[in-house]
Amino acid sequence: MNQFINGIPVSYILGLAGILFSIGVLGVLIRRNIVIIFMSVELILNSVNLVFVTFSKALSHISGETIVFFVMAIAAAEAAVGLALVIAIFRHKKSTNVDELQSMRW
Amino acid sequence: MDEIIYMNFESSPSFLLFIFFGTVTVVTALSVIFQKNPVVSAVSLVFTFFALAGIYGIMGALFIATMQVLVYAGAIMVLIVFVLMLLSQRTETLSRYRKHPIRLVLLSLFALCFFFLLYSALTTGVPHSEQKGKGYELTEYSFPIQGTGTINAKGNVASVGASTYLDYLLPFEMISILLLVAVLGAVILAKKRLTEVEQTKDNVL
Repeated sequence: MNQFINGIPVSYILGLAGILFSIGVLGVLIRRNIVIIFMSVELILNSVNLVFVTFSKALSHISGETIVFFVMAIAAAEAAVGLALVIAIFRHKKSTNVDELQSMRW
Repeated sequence: MDEIIYMNFESSPSFLLFIFFGTVTVVTALSVIFQKNPVVSAVSLVFTFFALAGIYGIMGALFIATMQVLVYAGAIMVLIVFVLMLLSQRTETLSRYRKHPIRLVLLSLFALCFFFLLYSALTTGVPHSEQKGKGYELTEYSFPIQGTGTINAKGNVASVGASTYLDYLLPFEMISILLLVAVLGAVILAKKRLTEVEQTKDNVL
C-alpha cells in the first residue's frame, strides 16, 4: 500500500473524509429543515466516495473507483425519492420542519 | 511528521492544491449546515462538490472527477434547488448581495480564483504524466479476451469502464433497475390525485 498519492499522504485524505462525514452527521442531527438534512446525507455519501477513491489509488486496484459509480447512482435515486416525499409531505403539512411530522407517533 | 510536510511542500504542487481544496471543502461543508437560508446552503454544497472534484483530479481519478461535476453538481443540485424553489418558504435574500457591491466583487473574485485553481489541479499532472510522482500514474487493468489471453486497458476511463462491464456487470444492471423503480416511485409520490385537485378547486371557488 502506497503511503503517498501524488505527493499527498493517504492519512490526510482519510482525515478529510472523516471530517466531512462528521459534518454531515452533525447536519443531520442539528438541522430541522428536511431539505438541509438531505444535503447533509449527500455530504456523508461524498465522504464515502472519497475513501473509496483513496484506497483505490493507494492499493492500485480499480474496483474502488467502479463502486463510486454505484454510490452515485444510489445517491441520485435517494435524492429523487426523498425530494418527492418532501413535496408530498409539504402538500399535507405546509411545512418542511421535521419536528412537526408526528403522524407516526403513538 | 514534520519531515513529511516539509518534503511535500518542497516537492509537489499537488500537495498545496490538496491543502487548498481540503480547506474549501471543510469550510463550505460547515457553511451548508450552519447557514440559515437553504438557498445559500445549496450554493455552498455546489462549492463542496467542485472542491471534491478537484481532489479527485489531483489523485488522478479523472473520470470520477468528471462524474462528480456532472451527477452531483449538475443533476442532484438542480433537483434540490428546484424543490427549494417550489417550497419557497420565505422571501429569498440573495438580492441583498446586490446592495453590497464590495461583497459581490469579493465573491466573484473568489469564484474566479477557484476556477483557475481547479483548472491547474486538473492540468498539473497531464503534461507530465510520464514523470513518477508529478503526473498521474497510468492506471492499468488487465482483462481477458477470448483467444488472445489478457490485454491491458490503459488510462483511467478505459480501466474503470473495463472493470464496470467485466467484473461488475450484474450490479450495473441491478442499479439501472433500481433507478427505474426510483423514478416511478418519485412520480407516483409527487403527483396530485384527481380528487385532491377537485377539492382544491372547490375550496378556491
